Amino acid sequence: MRSGKSPPREWLAEFEAAAQRPLEMRLRYAFIRTHKPVLDDAPYRSFDTTADYRRWCEENLPDWLGYGCV
Amino acid sequence: MAAFEYRQAAEVRDAFARHGVRYLFLGKSGAILLGFPDTTQDADLFVQRSQDNGRALVIALRELGFDLTEEQAAEVEHGKDFVQLKNGPFDLDLVFAPDGIERFEEAWERRLEVEGFPVCHLDDIIASKAATNRVKDRESLPRLRAFREYWMAKQRKRQ
Repeated sequence: MRSGKSPPREWLAEFEAAAQRPLEMRLRYAFIRTHKPVLDDAPYRSFDTTADYRRWCEENLPDWLGYGCV
Repeated sequence: MAAFEYRQAAEVRDAFARHGVRYLFLGKSGAILLGFPDTTQDADLFVQRSQDNGRALVIALRELGFDLTEEQAAEVEHGKDFVQLKNGPFDLDLVFAPDGIERFEEAWERRLEVEGFPVCHLDDIIASKAATNRVKDRESLPRLRAFREYWMAKQRKRQ
């Protein structure tokens, strides 16, 4: 949101609608499962530093997943 | 593997509570717990890094069904900065040093609770996403900031 601008009306309507839903329903709508190439292809990964993880994402994941830095 | 649902979130909450694990839901999964209407694929947990907490975390994860080798358990216990678990009943990202948040204790002081789920304050969630500077986070930040304004206004009305 740009500073000083009101958020779009449809966002506010969505926030209000979500506030009426019980948590269980909100979670059901929110968590989706799709296969993410490379990222989902190993059962376990660990990184000594968060910077290492970011670098690994940059170097190994397809751009369209959105894990690359701006 | 099924998508993360309320049942799994409750299992995490209950197992972590049984073993006294100190953690906070972070990222979009945290925002969703606070009412943010959006979609995500992962649950991110910001875990306090300490020997006792790491030990309790490993016990709780194994109880939940995560298949950790001894080497992996040692890494989780010692709190590597970032651990990605896809070897259990659902996916979990364990974050010991998130971008944009200096110390766990400070985030813990600001935490919010929703049905027993400890969640980072929206300001911390936003700070973390802003510091990460990823394409996907940049895209979600304007809507998340708008939700923060909506949510804060609602809290003020309640007081």
